[in-house]
Amino acid sequence: MTTEDERYRTSTQYRLWSYTPSSLLALRTSTNSLAADRVREAVRRSREARAVSSTETSDAERGRSVSAAPEGEVDCLTVEEELKLVRFYCRQTSQLGDHLKFPSDVKVYNAPLINMKSVLILFWQATAIQYIKRFYLTNSPMTYHPADILKTALYFSTKTENHYKSIVEFANVIGKTKAEDVLASEFLLTQALRFTFDVRHPFRALDGAVMELRALASGNVPAIPGGEEPVDLPQRLDNRAQHSYSKANDYLKTSAQLTDVYFHFTPSQIMMASLLLADKDLAEWYIRSKFPASVDPSGLMANKVMGVVEKCAEMMATVAPNSDASDVERKEVSALMKKLKRCRNPEKKDLTALQRAKRAGAGEDEKIVKKRKLEREQSAKEGENLFGPALKRS
Amino acid sequence: MSRLAKPSSLEDPTKDICPVCKSNRYLNPSLQFLINPECYHRMCSTCVDRIFTSGPASCPVPHCGKTLRKKGFHAAFFGDLKIEREVDVRKRVGKVFNRRQDEFETLLDWNNYLEEVEGLVFDIVEGSPKTRAQAEERLKQYREGNEAEIEENRLAALDETEQQRRREKSERDALRQRRLAELREEEEVKMDVAQSKREVLNRLANEDIDAETITKQAQKVILKKTSARRNLADQEASVRESLTIRGLKKKEAPVKEEPYDAFGGMNMEPTKYVLQHHYDHEWLDKTTSGPLHTVGGWDVHDYYARTMFEAFSGLGVFIEDEVADREPVSTAAGTVAATDRVAPKIKFKQKIKMESDDVF
Repeated sequence: MTTEDERYRTSTQYRLWSYTPSSLLALRTSTNSLAADRVREAVRRSREARAVSSTETSDAERGRSVSAAPEGEVDCLTVEEELKLVRFYCRQTSQLGDHLKFPSDVKVYNAPLINMKSVLILFWQATAIQYIKRFYLTNSPMTYHPADILKTALYFSTKTENHYKSIVEFANVIGKTKAEDVLASEFLLTQALRFTFDVRHPFRALDGAVMELRALASGNVPAIPGGEEPVDLPQRLDNRAQHSYSKANDYLKTSAQLTDVYFHFTPSQIMMASLLLADKDLAEWYIRSKFPASVDPSGLMANKVMGVVEKCAEMMATVAPNSDASDVERKEVSALMKKLKRCRNPEKKDLTALQRAKRAGAGEDEKIVKKRKLEREQSAKEGENLFGPALKRS
Repeated sequence: MSRLAKPSSLEDPTKDICPVCKSNRYLNPSLQFLINPECYHRMCSTCVDRIFTSGPASCPVPHCGKTLRKKGFHAAFFGDLKIEREVDVRKRVGKVFNRRQDEFETLLDWNNYLEEVEGLVFDIVEGSPKTRAQAEERLKQYREGNEAEIEENRLAALDETEQQRRREKSERDALRQRRLAELREEEEVKMDVAQSKREVLNRLANEDIDAETITKQAQKVILKKTSARRNLADQEASVRESLTIRGLKKKEAPVKEEPYDAFGGMNMEPTKYVLQHHYDHEWLDKTTSGPLHTVGGWDVHDYYARTMFEAFSGLGVFIEDEVADREPVSTAAGTVAATDRVAPKIKFKQKIKMESDDVF
């Protein structure tokens, strides 16, 4: 039992956000069908409402409004189409992150820190993308538009990845956005994330692996505690490790983010897979060096890990490691956007207005409002009495 | 003290006059007043004898009319008859409501019970005839409903008092024993001293040794004996003491506290890599010395440890195998959510009942 694996098993990413491919598909299918049902229901309701209101207006107007609203069954998105859309918006997220310029603090950093800064931005984008992906496991783009969720996810990940920005500043930098719009879906996103904000990324792992590979190349370093230093070092190990770093990092930045590998594999496996895609021999030698005959005499474990890493690499290879979408994908997505426009849930279109209404307490039970008020008063009273009443000035 | 009945009361002369026959303590110094807990009317023992000897009769006080028996009459313990009556009521209620604190789960419940009983007592003592009748009815109902438990508690209380009595008795006995032993000891000491003196005298008379050495030796012997006796006495006393005190709670040695483990016993030793003191790194080395980092307490070794840990954390975790076991749970939760009015995203909420808002 390796201690590193035990520690990974305590993470929420393992406990709540790891799925087998079949369970992931089942979850997405049920989410999609549920959302589609709800969209049809909502559209029917809104049509009924319009029909009622149009009987009160003149005939001419009614004719126009009826022709404007397409009747008949709504053509909803399928699971694959939703996935494509979400992937597109994940790309958008990473591009938005690249283009966002937060002035004020770049100036003071010197050269190595600009490197760190880019790492920071990398984490920030990746976390936001994972938030979006996790959100759309249990929600559909038909219900909540990815463009809305994207902003909130980006804002959330500034918090989790030490990239603090005030909400006003953030909204300004995004452009055409008010603070209210960003905050409109904050509860929604928090709940969909099941209140877990921690995302384990493979970037730092890659850094560690390359660091160790270079150390192994210099010699005198055992591969595992108590083991001997590996003998059959690949040629030009130091050089190859450095070279494969940037290539592997590209895979992690794009392919790993846009595919479902985060749901199916651990960060360490994803990192190894990216290394495998960058330099297959190097990665295989590295993995096998961690399972020497003294620990794993039959070689079963090493083979199993290799199998999983290869599977992960296969999945990652389905998306080319560049950040821009291909022309085919672009075309597909623009068609999908049009389709999405027709099948959006009309009741959830304006999240900002919904949130505002909620804040105002509309549509809430009298009882709940009263209960909350009582609770507030209670807590205020407790806060006062905690250390007794305020001292009176003589 | 003023509450206790006094044979003569200087403050209130009417206390010395029997309200029935108007005889006066001044004329009859042996006058004794009795009451009956049926109605608590006071009358002298002569009247009681006169009226009730021939059987039950109604109370002679005007407008009372309660049927009284001679057997029920006794001298009042308290001068104030109201208090006498309240104490009687309390005794009566206490016999029925005799629950004990250890029967209750929480202190709050026990206190609520006590309050309820107190309310009942108050109703009987101070209430109007109607509330009094109601309270009596409640008392009766409770008595009938909980006969077995009342009996049980009564026996338990008896047992307790019995134990208490026995404990006190044994303590008293032990005390007496100790005192006797002390007396005996003193006697022995005296006899010992006398005997050794006698011996010294004998030796001085008969033996041919220096008188001084003999006396010195004798003193030594006496000292030895007394100190030995004292030790013995101490030992005995300690043994006796451990025998006399009973019912002490068993003392348990406190469990020695382990140092706090922030990781709950998780092993933090790496198994897949050996952490080096220094790694070659493209740009990290430049950060190790800059004040911008060192001031904040940043240490490059922390970064090494973290990156190396993350490189191998979960390498041997096979999600497809391990998560398959919990697969039914997650899909089941999904289908439950699907039938629910609330969106499936609140899956988590259904597993753990937590109060959270419905977001729109």
